[in-house]
Amino acid sequence: MGKEIFALVGFWEIILSIFMQWQAYTISNIKTFSVQSWILGIFLLWAGVFHGFIALIILALLTIITRAIAMPLYLGNTIRKQIYRARENKHRISTGLSILISLLLAVFGYLVYYLILAGHGQSLVSIPITLMLQGAFLIVSRSNAYSQLIGYLVMENSMFLLSFLFSELPFIVEAGIILDVLGVVVVAGLLMRVRDEDIEKEEELLG
Amino acid sequence: MIYLLPSISATLGAILSFSLFRNKHKEVSVLASFLAFVFSIFLLFEPDRFTAFFYVDSLSKIFLLMISSVYLGVVIFSIGYLEHSHGHFVKSCQYFSLLDIFVGIMLFSVTLNNFGLFWVSIEATTFATALLVASENDIAALEAAWRYIMIVSVGLTIGLVGTLFLYSSAHTLSITDLLSRQNRGSLFFLSGMLLVIGYGTKIGIFPMYTWLPDAHGKAPAPISAIFSAILLPVSLYPLIRFFEVYQNPSLSKFAFVLGFLSVMTGSIMTLNQRLYKRLFAYSSVENMGLSLIGVSLGSYALFGTIVLIFTHAFAKSGVFMLTGNMLHELKTRKIEDVKGLIKIMPKTGLFLFFGALAVTGTPPFATFFGELLIVSKTINYYGWIVGFALFFFLVCGFLFINYRVINMVFNDETKPVSSAKESPFTFVPVIFITLSAFVILIVPIFYRFIEGVIK
Amino acid sequence: MLNLFFLSILQLLYVLALAPLAVGILHVFDERLSSRRGPSIFQEYYNLFKFFRKQSIYPKTASGFFSYVPYITFGMYLFLTLVLPIITAFPLLFGPVVDFVGGGLVFGAASTFLKLASLDSRNSYSILGASRASSIGIFTEPIILLIFIMFGVISGTNNPYVINNILQTSTNWFFSLVHLFVGVAFFLVLIIETGQLPIESHTPNEFGSIDSLMSLEYSGRELALLKWGSYIKSFLLMNVFLNVFTLPFFVPMKFNILAIVLYMFINFLKIILLLAIFAIINNVVSKYRLFKIFDYILIAFSFALMAMVVFYVVNGG
Repeated sequence: MGKEIFALVGFWEIILSIFMQWQAYTISNIKTFSVQSWILGIFLLWAGVFHGFIALIILALLTIITRAIAMPLYLGNTIRKQIYRARENKHRISTGLSILISLLLAVFGYLVYYLILAGHGQSLVSIPITLMLQGAFLIVSRSNAYSQLIGYLVMENSMFLLSFLFSELPFIVEAGIILDVLGVVVVAGLLMRVRDEDIEKEEELLG
Repeated sequence: MIYLLPSISATLGAILSFSLFRNKHKEVSVLASFLAFVFSIFLLFEPDRFTAFFYVDSLSKIFLLMISSVYLGVVIFSIGYLEHSHGHFVKSCQYFSLLDIFVGIMLFSVTLNNFGLFWVSIEATTFATALLVASENDIAALEAAWRYIMIVSVGLTIGLVGTLFLYSSAHTLSITDLLSRQNRGSLFFLSGMLLVIGYGTKIGIFPMYTWLPDAHGKAPAPISAIFSAILLPVSLYPLIRFFEVYQNPSLSKFAFVLGFLSVMTGSIMTLNQRLYKRLFAYSSVENMGLSLIGVSLGSYALFGTIVLIFTHAFAKSGVFMLTGNMLHELKTRKIEDVKGLIKIMPKTGLFLFFGALAVTGTPPFATFFGELLIVSKTINYYGWIVGFALFFFLVCGFLFINYRVINMVFNDETKPVSSAKESPFTFVPVIFITLSAFVILIVPIFYRFIEGVIK
Repeated sequence: MLNLFFLSILQLLYVLALAPLAVGILHVFDERLSSRRGPSIFQEYYNLFKFFRKQSIYPKTASGFFSYVPYITFGMYLFLTLVLPIITAFPLLFGPVVDFVGGGLVFGAASTFLKLASLDSRNSYSILGASRASSIGIFTEPIILLIFIMFGVISGTNNPYVINNILQTSTNWFFSLVHLFVGVAFFLVLIIETGQLPIESHTPNEFGSIDSLMSLEYSGRELALLKWGSYIKSFLLMNVFLNVFTLPFFVPMKFNILAIVLYMFINFLKIILLLAIFAIINNVVSKYRLFKIFDYILIAFSFALMAMVVFYVVNGG
């Protein structure tokens, strides 16, 4: 039963990250990320209540408060002060191709599991690997700073799923993940203000 | 507990210079760094201590000494450097407190016994340093800081996956427990590879080094100094511990290949550089690749790595601080605009020349000794061809960097130039570069000191 | 044998009679949700009667093919009503003629004939409609094929009746993630095939031009047959979606006249529910630009492909 619920949650997260490739506005990406974190938080809460681990319940509540509510609100507020050009989500490769590559990464994640990790875990391990690859691809395929940050946060979400499967990482490191992500988002919020997107031609950054 | 004293003093300096003593933040930081330095010298004579939380042996003490001495120098130099800092991203007091907290986390992390806490502390340094890199507040600096955050955070996420696999296969994260158990599975090997890639992003290994030239090129000079001198070696420290725990020929080969490719990339890219800070940044890539090779080989190559890191800390930080001087007076970042430095700024020019020699591994400096040990172990382990290829790339790096530096320093054309004012704190890099020459005299003491760590 | 024959005729008459009513109800829902009164629900019947009474004209440049195509496509749609599970869950007399893949191919053949006829008419708008319909149709074919393959994986056959039985009886398969993803993919394709928003709009304010342009040159009896054929196509696809994929309940699996007659009403109620959902969607989203339709198709494809990945992951190796 736990296995099926994990598969349900995991695959909806993968579908949501494919949606993130589809969307045209940055604010939709942030909302989709918020939905993804809600699903993750509620799943962790259910797992904690079901198995009776207090640490997991606290972690789930922390996840919901920081990643599903606070961070998207903060990022949304920062976007509204940006110039209009930054609100659109420019793709480096076309939308259709990026959805297709995201999809192929799902197949590739399963392949990675099958070839490398087959002896060590259940087949559900391929879900967090796929989500991590899709988060990385979200960073690669966009030049907008907010989308790159959301891609990084999706990778951290996949870390939660992975540690749930391998299920024994001490609580302090997971709390460390949350605090570090908080720190990164705050810093990124400060740095994102005047970032120009045609930076490729700058001489000081070439070579 | 006393092993945390340097870290505590640095952190206290951070908190105090931000909150209470805003006007006197420079003095507070200097005092904190001096205290940290004194404590780490004092700690050299304390016995080793392995508890559930601490793992302090001679290697940690050497790292503590290195970190705190470079920290002291950088803080003193920053006082002079920040007088020109208007329009910067971080104000002067924030700069010092960020610097203090960054070094405090570094000092804390080399005493730890837990791979998970290693990861947390190294990830925690990311945001302090990102704000420092973005100090110049122009478009390229913000872009460099953004690239730094993104690439390093993604790389450290991979490192976290590696730590997760480590825990899942060995059920413990502490070094003492890992040293005592001996059965390893293939998941442990996989976690080793992921840790090499993950921490390798922060060290600056091919192909994850791409943030390094941008961040070093655009950061202010003391920050570049402390990056190259401290951040990169302390990110190597968990890998040293990991290779101490787990010796596996395939993993060593993997790390060796990555290190070799970094050396190759570092030396070749220095041919094409137009900005002098990026030139020295690629030299850092090369040196760190060489240290990873040394770590992966073990035995006396590990000793060579430690000597290399220690000397490189002093020499490279001195060089970067001198480039800060150059930027302030000559107002240009390009190599071709800098000519005849020895006439304009004699101390800077002369010691830049010596520093470039030190960084590329020239005989009186101890980096030559470290590189010699590493290359000889390479020849011993992998054969003559690989060893000579490594040596060839080191020679390439030496030639390209020194060619550019000699052009900058000694090439005086007919244009009469007036001498420029050097920073009053130029004595700091001068001392550092001289120290890096004299390290070779204390190498035998080093060896007896670290004997427990090298097998 | 005679029972099956009688049931086949019953099914044919059911579909023929109720397909225009379904489309009429959809239009009324649309208009009521937009706070307008809308036409009566029998308006499509009146339209068909009007067209049947009028004279057919053919363009001078069209060949004989142009005049035969509406009869051919209508015949194909009638043939399809005999082989799909609409009011029963056991195969009728002509059930074994084609399976799911064959059914999909017959749908494709009918639309190909229509496109060829619109090319034949040499009207630029018809050709425009044909090219748009072709470029969208070519991308929805792989999704439909993937969906059928996934159902073959679930049930071991390609027979829509067997799939219905399995989904009706086994809660394990009904609530599985594979079924959910395939259902969502088919719903997205259903929106494309029946021509609802966000792909194509029918309101007086917007001019949808994917499916409605192809029959521009027809008039009189041929136009009536084309329109009726497209209503039957929508009705059949909605029925397949409901009976086979989503709500395969109450479909009678054994021969029982009372159950079958009762099910005819229940089936129409299910259709009305689906039409209500369509009407809500029509009033919430707006029409996509033409190039964004392909991204939408890719999302539908993602669902279908993810169903395959889910199958491998959840059922191990």
